[in-house]
Amino acid sequence: MITRTSRRALLAGAAGAAAFALTLSACGGSSSGGSASGGSSQTSGVTITVALASDPPPKAALDEFTKETGIKVNWVNIDWDSLQTKISAAATAKTYFADATDVDWSRVGQLGKLGWFYPMETMVDTKTMASDMPQLTSFTKDGHVVGIPYDASFMVTTVNEKMFQKAGVTEMPKTIDDYTAALNKVKSAGVVKYPLNIPFAAAEGLSTYWYETTGAFGGTVLDGAGKPQFTTPDSAGYKAATWMVDAIKNGLVPPGNINVTDSQGSQTLMAKGQVASIFSDYSGGIGTLYNIKSASSVVDQVKYIPTPGVTGTAANLGNPDGIGIPKQAKYPQAAAKFIEWFTSAKKQEDFAGLNGQDKIFQGYALPSHLSVLQKMSESGTLPEGKSLVPMLQGSKPVFPEGAPAWYPQFSNAVYTNLHAAATGSMTVDAAIKTIADTANRLASGS
Amino acid sequence: MSRPGARAGNTGRGIGVALTLLWSVIPIYWAVKTSFQTDADARANPAQYVPLRPTLENYRTLLTADSDVPGQIRRAALNIVVECGAATVVTVLLATLAGYAFARMRFRGRNVLFYAVLATMAFPPYTTLIPLYRIMSLLGLVNTYTGIVLVYVSGFLPLATWVLHNYFSSLPESIEEAGLVDGAKRLQVLWHLLLPLARPGIISTALITFLFAWGQFLFPLVLSSDLSTQPLTVVIASLQGRHVVPASLLNAAGVLAIIVPAVLALAFNRYIVNGLLAGSTR
Repeated sequence: MITRTSRRALLAGAAGAAAFALTLSACGGSSSGGSASGGSSQTSGVTITVALASDPPPKAALDEFTKETGIKVNWVNIDWDSLQTKISAAATAKTYFADATDVDWSRVGQLGKLGWFYPMETMVDTKTMASDMPQLTSFTKDGHVVGIPYDASFMVTTVNEKMFQKAGVTEMPKTIDDYTAALNKVKSAGVVKYPLNIPFAAAEGLSTYWYETTGAFGGTVLDGAGKPQFTTPDSAGYKAATWMVDAIKNGLVPPGNINVTDSQGSQTLMAKGQVASIFSDYSGGIGTLYNIKSASSVVDQVKYIPTPGVTGTAANLGNPDGIGIPKQAKYPQAAAKFIEWFTSAKKQEDFAGLNGQDKIFQGYALPSHLSVLQKMSESGTLPEGKSLVPMLQGSKPVFPEGAPAWYPQFSNAVYTNLHAAATGSMTVDAAIKTIADTANRLASGS
Repeated sequence: MSRPGARAGNTGRGIGVALTLLWSVIPIYWAVKTSFQTDADARANPAQYVPLRPTLENYRTLLTADSDVPGQIRRAALNIVVECGAATVVTVLLATLAGYAFARMRFRGRNVLFYAVLATMAFPPYTTLIPLYRIMSLLGLVNTYTGIVLVYVSGFLPLATWVLHNYFSSLPESIEEAGLVDGAKRLQVLWHLLLPLARPGIISTALITFLFAWGQFLFPLVLSSDLSTQPLTVVIASLQGRHVVPASLLNAAGVLAIIVPAVLALAFNRYIVNGLLAGSTR
């Protein structure tokens, strides 16, 4: 081996520098730096970044906002799952990535406890908003409002009325027993082979389906202290899990649904007429999917029905999307002005199409203001609006006292174990026990 | 005449290989098949296992249409080529120098440094995500090509250095000695004598780096904020949750995303295997 050359130092330096850079990148510390929270109070002549899992509102609307306030908006559309990853990464790294971004109902507890977002009651007039936004309570944790709901998503039961009628079900079911009997009738009449969609893929959609079904069976999943309420066979959560797993075992749910997520189920099964009902579907789906000719073969066939409960109609559970301001925002005050504008009743009327087609915000689900929803229903611009408005009025949060800070781990346990029970690799009893053990462990802080 | 046991073994191996191939190929076939169908055909029930009315419309839309989604796909395709190409060039350049130095030069701490470089490969990449994000943020490199390329380089340099170290180690030292005796400087020897010989190793390193970079998702997801830097992998994933994007168009985008790595892997398979095996036998 050659041991001495005139360029040795240079090349050794290159090797050393490469090694140092690599070691630095692998072990990179997090002890210094990071964007300081606080940001600028400037509310004019600035550009804010808004990151949501949605296409932007019409350009004219954003231009109008800029004209009114002097604030330019850089709209970034990121899919929901990726956005949650980005929020967590940016918050953990204490790094700016947006001035306003998504606050999902399920993460309110976690985001509130970790203090990653500004308390919105210090930025906008949440007290005035509350009277017309029934779902604002879902965004409140320990007295602080983490985000402002901008859509009124809640879980609803959808049925393909044409299929039900074809099977001889002329009166829509009002109880779970009636509903199960109707599904069996649709199956036995040969209208569809598998009439019910339950998204059994191990994903968040399975958890929310179970929460809604638990509500329909007359109970809640967790109490205010985070203690599981579903451990005994006579509890609503236990019955809901049994009903869901029985549905796939008894051939009401397509066997392939073991790997189907909630949105896949809506798009490829319900919208294509391969199932006749979704017990826990998304509100607004009729207007944004089932009645869209390019995406659906069941146009005008799907209806919302009041959620069948044990003895009658049950309440719908809300899962709305909100918008909040991360602590690392560069322009938090400007972001607050945007949120006030974006979630105002007047703007939601525009977005929902009450003031002309050119103002519609494509992909916008349902307004979070009750008054706007009522106007839509009265004007006939909301498909099935007469059914939806009372459902929203009577909707309840999944967790009446706010989602616990450990919700993501809990939800993971829910969908993992319910998925396993559906595949037959564990019993419902074992699945429930494992979920309850997880909840107890998380609630006790261990 | 082969023994029954050996025949059974061969049959079992054949079945195993066939099943493994099917497991890998069927999803790709399904994506390719769907990309040549209209959305209605792709969603038909019962499913069409071959396109009964094949169409190039999805590809035409992706490559020429002015609408939102095709525009995003084209921009993301440009981004991924720029990011992967730049990361490959920088990684190969640094890895060539580092691999050569580690293979041929003696200096204090050489082994420690070399094993430190190799040790970084043992770190799960995601453990470095947050620190890297923070560093890039401090340097103002979030949502820039430079930031993403630097992160790729830091991630792939250890493997590239190791591959080229093995390659340089396998070359006869007498070639360099002859060059030095003739009065050439060290870098001249490297440039004129060793690099031509190491070309297969350099090509394989470049391919491996490019293919690894092409498949990245989480790092560019976090480090890029908008379409100015988001690569194809991130943009395609972001489209799948939207009701309005036809599945057939999404599959066509997916096929476009796998064409480049697939062609490279098939065309240069020999280099990739040789590169990874370099130095394993002497």
